[in-house]
Amino acid sequence: MENRTEYLFLTPALLAGLLALPVTAVASDDERPLIEPDVTPVPVTEDRIDTENFEVGGFAGFLTIEDFESSWLVGAKLTYHLSEAFFFEAGVGVAEAGETSFETLAGNVEVLTDSEREYRFYNLNLGYNLLPGEAFPTEGLAFNTNFYLIGGAGATDFAGDTRFTLNAGAGYQVLLTDDIAVHLELRQHFYRIDVLGDEKTAISTQASAGLSVFF
Amino acid sequence: MPLLLCLLALLPMTATAGGLWGDEPPLRVQVTQPFVEWRTGPAAGYPVFHASEQGEWLRLLQRRTRWIRVRDEQGREGWVSVADIAGTRDATGQPVALPVPDFSEFRNRRLEAGLMMGEFDGAAVTAAYGGYWMTRNLAAELWLSQVLGSASEIRMINANLVHQAFPHWRVSPYFTLGIGHLWIDPKATLAEPEQRDNMVGHAGIGVRAYVTDRYFIRAEVKDYKVFTDRETNEEATEWKIGLSIFF
Repeated sequence: MENRTEYLFLTPALLAGLLALPVTAVASDDERPLIEPDVTPVPVTEDRIDTENFEVGGFAGFLTIEDFESSWLVGAKLTYHLSEAFFFEAGVGVAEAGETSFETLAGNVEVLTDSEREYRFYNLNLGYNLLPGEAFPTEGLAFNTNFYLIGGAGATDFAGDTRFTLNAGAGYQVLLTDDIAVHLELRQHFYRIDVLGDEKTAISTQASAGLSVFF
Repeated sequence: MPLLLCLLALLPMTATAGGLWGDEPPLRVQVTQPFVEWRTGPAAGYPVFHASEQGEWLRLLQRRTRWIRVRDEQGREGWVSVADIAGTRDATGQPVALPVPDFSEFRNRRLEAGLMMGEFDGAAVTAAYGGYWMTRNLAAELWLSQVLGSASEIRMINANLVHQAFPHWRVSPYFTLGIGHLWIDPKATLAEPEQRDNMVGHAGIGVRAYVTDRYFIRAEVKDYKVFTDRETNEEATEWKIGLSIFF
């Protein structure tokens, strides 16, 4: 009796299973995409993604050197973006100091030699992207922008000595593409100098524009 | 001539390889969350302008800090957060693994580098360093420092060993011992400027504090012994604080 029961239940089950087989085979055929992709699937890992946290660029502008007129300034900088807000920046710049009012009025007096008038500086800074945003020059054109604050320390080689220099300022960055940016910057450089009598804190003002590339 | 032939032979190879840098196969991910938001730039401050829904395929183009630039099948481009991409599936069907560096990675770091500022014998010091961890307790470091005082400029190069007893602590103290060389350049305005250079030995204590991501704050105090050729050696105390990054 038990055998018969088994026969009754198992035979239809087996038949159903056999019938279902081709159906599942057809179903797996359907899952294949109509167009085979011509690329092999690549697993996504961290080191396969092109990471571009560095930015390198040059700048040019004016440097107003306290007591020594204004002059052209050129420089270069390397930036590392720590996060979307913070970045490290290492910068160098050169300018040529002019004459003091005293030298101009007195005529043939020279406070500094020509080589001492070479103004060179480097600085290491921390920046903060305070206001990320967008600029719309025309109706159909939008650029990403950043207003940032920046400050740091470094050294200024000027008037025969190397002087510890603090700097602080702000800048406006316009990203022409995701990889190319234009910068406009205004910064103050503070250092101690004793060339004209008493030692005092001198302030040089930098106004510059630059171009940089992310890599 | 043989060189030219070699170059000519190489030409089709580079052409098929897609240039010297090669054409990497595209990295594609499929959105498995209900949707992911797209921003116009790589920061939370930029506006959301689009969203990809579940099932859409995105091509990963580049990463900047915690953001990834993607392109969808319609050719649109935008920035998606790494956290969102980490919730997708790649072309092999596996979940995308994009670990955010955390404290456990800090504990197992091999390389670190940083910038520090402070005072060396009353004068401002700026220093940069790089370090390699041989074990979780012991590291070798190389330092470059510039000291700018009112009377002189000092440039220093130092090598030292660092030992930290508790690498598993979030705020971890350490002990350091090293040697180096310094060059003293007196200010031009001084009466008798005389350049000199000396060997130095130094010992110090300090502390590292893990902040977030790949960054930590480091602060230390070092005592320098400057070996002179006079009857007595000179001593200088230095403290500095700075920000470092690890890999």
